[in-house]
Amino acid sequence: MDLDDLKQSWQQQDRKLDAGLRLNTVRLYVTTLKKAETSLRRLSWFLWLDLLVDIPIVIWLGSFIADHIAEPRFALPALLLDVFVIALMGLGIRQLVALGATDPAEPVVALQKRTESLRIERLRAVKLILLASPLIWVPMLIVGLKGFLGADAYAIFDHAWLAANVLLGLAVIPLAVWISRRYADRMQRSPLVQRVMRDLAGTNLNAAQDFLASLSRFEEEGAAV
Amino acid sequence: MSTNPRQDRFLKLLDEHKKIVYKVAASYCRNPADRPDLEQEIVAQLWRSFGRYDEAYRFSTWMYRIALNVAISFYRAETRRSRDTVPAGDSLLEIAAEGSGETDGNLQILREMIARLDELDRALVILYLDGNRYDTIAEILGISESNVGTKINRIKQRLRRDVARTA
Repeated sequence: MDLDDLKQSWQQQDRKLDAGLRLNTVRLYVTTLKKAETSLRRLSWFLWLDLLVDIPIVIWLGSFIADHIAEPRFALPALLLDVFVIALMGLGIRQLVALGATDPAEPVVALQKRTESLRIERLRAVKLILLASPLIWVPMLIVGLKGFLGADAYAIFDHAWLAANVLLGLAVIPLAVWISRRYADRMQRSPLVQRVMRDLAGTNLNAAQDFLASLSRFEEEGAAV
Repeated sequence: MSTNPRQDRFLKLLDEHKKIVYKVAASYCRNPADRPDLEQEIVAQLWRSFGRYDEAYRFSTWMYRIALNVAISFYRAETRRSRDTVPAGDSLLEIAAEGSGETDGNLQILREMIARLDELDRALVILYLDGNRYDTIAEILGISESNVGTKINRIKQRLRRDVARTA
């Protein structure tokens, strides 16, 4: 039996579809077309909202740094946070631009490569955010107490306590990665938790990189099937 | 039903080429219950992109590209995105009983063979079985024409080997 013998059956099925396949136009108008427009608006709205939230934070942190430029113990944690938020904004803008420029009618291999590269970038950023979270909270505490309450975290908390928290944050990182690798696949009842854990463990990133590699192989002349 | 000429034109073209949506969705859904969701995602994406459709291209080429891109992404998604879709059960494409034709044994073999292929070879085989020429397949997938020929031949050889092994 050959693929061309089977092709006949496929085309026979095609003729039957010509006679029997019907488009449910009521459902098409009532649900699909309306929802397609709504979801597009929602996606843009979500990305813009994210940027609108980040902008005042960057401005506020910039103003905080300017006010405390002579006090590096306050200015440096604020600078660290500011760089972090600006990096997130940059990533958001890049995704917004990339999404706007993406044409779903591009050739399959080109579009899948572009989509997967963007996905890899997002997964790397998510992993970085998740890993950086335990370290970020100490600068947030220092800047937040000073900025909102006028309190000096260095005077309230022992220096050793603050240093211990930074070290604890560093220790939490490998522990979180180990837990994610071990338990991500067992979280089938909580897809969101499972996804976060797989992002942290790097499982999703590895899968995306594998697919990108298989796209390149597919594109190569005479690659093995 | 619509007073929008753009929607009417879209509906007319979609109706003429609805088999593409049906066959791509049927070939990429491991679970048949997911098929209506994939059909809906494909049609929604076609509608979103219809404003950018360039008449210089054949509608079927444009439609294959979008349908295959959506299907590959859908196939690769870790979780079903149910937020933007209506639950399965009420399908966008319906087949009359006399039109199903799923009793053909060869078709069953073909479906099983397609299911064993990865998402890219699957796209290639669907386009080949639909009777597209190598240059059209190359245009849709974005690879060279000679590469299409090489891959089709290798898939054919693999199928022969599989059939021989089963026999």
